[in-house]
Amino acid sequence: MIRVRACLLLALLTLTLPAMADIAIVVKAGSGVGQLTRSDAVNIFMGRYRKLPNGNPALPLDVVSLKARFYRALVNKNLAEINAYWARLVFSGEASPPQQVATATEMRQLVAHNPSAVGYLDSREVGDDLHVVLILNE
Amino acid sequence: MLASLAAQAFHASDDGRLTLSGFGTLGLVHSDNSEAEFLRDIGQPKGADEGWSARVDSLLGAQLGWRVDPRWDLVVQGISRYHDSGNYRPELSWAFVRYRPDPALQLRAGRLGWDVFQLADSRYVGYAYPWARPPVDQFGMLQLTHIDGADVTFKQPWGSDLVLLKLYAGRSDSRIHVVDDLVADFDADAVYGGHLDYEHGPWRLRTSYTEVRSDVDYAGSVVNEIDSLQIPGLDGEREIERALGFSRLRLFSLGALYDSGPLQVQAMWNRSRTARHHGRIDSALLSVGYRVGQVTPYVAHSRAMTSSTNPDVTDIDQRTWTFGTRFDVARDIALKVQLDRIDTRRPGFLWRGDSDWEGGWSSIFSLGLDFIF
Repeated sequence: MIRVRACLLLALLTLTLPAMADIAIVVKAGSGVGQLTRSDAVNIFMGRYRKLPNGNPALPLDVVSLKARFYRALVNKNLAEINAYWARLVFSGEASPPQQVATATEMRQLVAHNPSAVGYLDSREVGDDLHVVLILNE
Repeated sequence: MLASLAAQAFHASDDGRLTLSGFGTLGLVHSDNSEAEFLRDIGQPKGADEGWSARVDSLLGAQLGWRVDPRWDLVVQGISRYHDSGNYRPELSWAFVRYRPDPALQLRAGRLGWDVFQLADSRYVGYAYPWARPPVDQFGMLQLTHIDGADVTFKQPWGSDLVLLKLYAGRSDSRIHVVDDLVADFDADAVYGGHLDYEHGPWRLRTSYTEVRSDVDYAGSVVNEIDSLQIPGLDGEREIERALGFSRLRLFSLGALYDSGPLQVQAMWNRSRTARHHGRIDSALLSVGYRVGQVTPYVAHSRAMTSSTNPDVTDIDQRTWTFGTRFDVARDIALKVQLDRIDTRRPGFLWRGDSDWEGGWSSIFSLGLDFIF
């Protein structure tokens, strides 16, 4: 019985732990975007090609408090590398980095009101007004 | 830079926003070469003597951007560095208006960076790359810094890959120092070219072509000596152009960048053809860096060679081994330590000074502090 309980506990842990740490890329609910592939997400956040699958321009948002985790999960890079990457594109006049917002709350409000906005959140914090287009496992 | 953006409250349109950002390098170079001066590029009239010098790498740049609406914006960028005028007088590096009617299309007009091969138009932004400076064999021979004209960029997704085509045309002027006693002033009335990029996962592949047609004015004691011979029909400038053929340059380039997690690889090959004597300027670069935490050691090998059927022109042959480490010590600040071991088999315009120098090994030790704001 104890063993069964331990197995159950383990199963629960393995089910819930990754979900706790996952990052969800989100758009406004009902904006007509179903899913993004990982390369779509890289193109949008790294400024290579900012278009959503429904044809709308994509407006990426960075959440300062989650940024390090997000880029680690998306492209396995630290913030110094991300800054160096943007320094090259900004000072050659090729592209601009995502708009920065301070908190997840601010991000949620902005994404919920703009069908072009693409943000990211801890996957536990996604509300009804947002639609998850990609989950990044950490 | 990113901090200033973070401080901005985000508005749905973000229109009318003015941003100021910048970049800079404090660079110290130690050379053990007592016979020739080390240069970062052929525009610099003087280089680093034996001993320590802060001249070749130190620079400061600033950019002002004004976003009119999501489609239109204006960018102005200036830079102060030791350049062809022999001082740090600031110059306007970019000033353009950009129109992006769609994520797949971008048009720019005004003063633009010379995007002649990968990383060329960001070669002064030390914070953006691992090296103390872009390898001189490859980047030091570029003739132009900017063009006054226009470019258009098309992007097309291809499955999960991306194809990018950029075309540009304009005019430019610049000065290069061929040797101590010979300056070439380029009045390039036609600079045009383009490149095709293919982006696949961590790979960015580029093939590019550019043509530069110029009126080149040559000046210096070499020209004066020819003129002083006073042989009828012999004109110093014309003779130099006949020998060098800089009036028409064609540049071909292949490049591959691989950037995946902590691993960064740059590989490039470049060939310029001059107008006469089958003149060629070849360069190549291979660089590998691997990040461990905030520390990125790197090693690079680069090579520069020229060849010509003209017996009066001496060719260049040089190889460089570069070893260094970048330390990301604080937000938006990187320190670099680098050693270049340069094997100069035949010297030429990549060095200044004593024209009797026949080449040999040199060691260049560099310390750099790169920052952005």
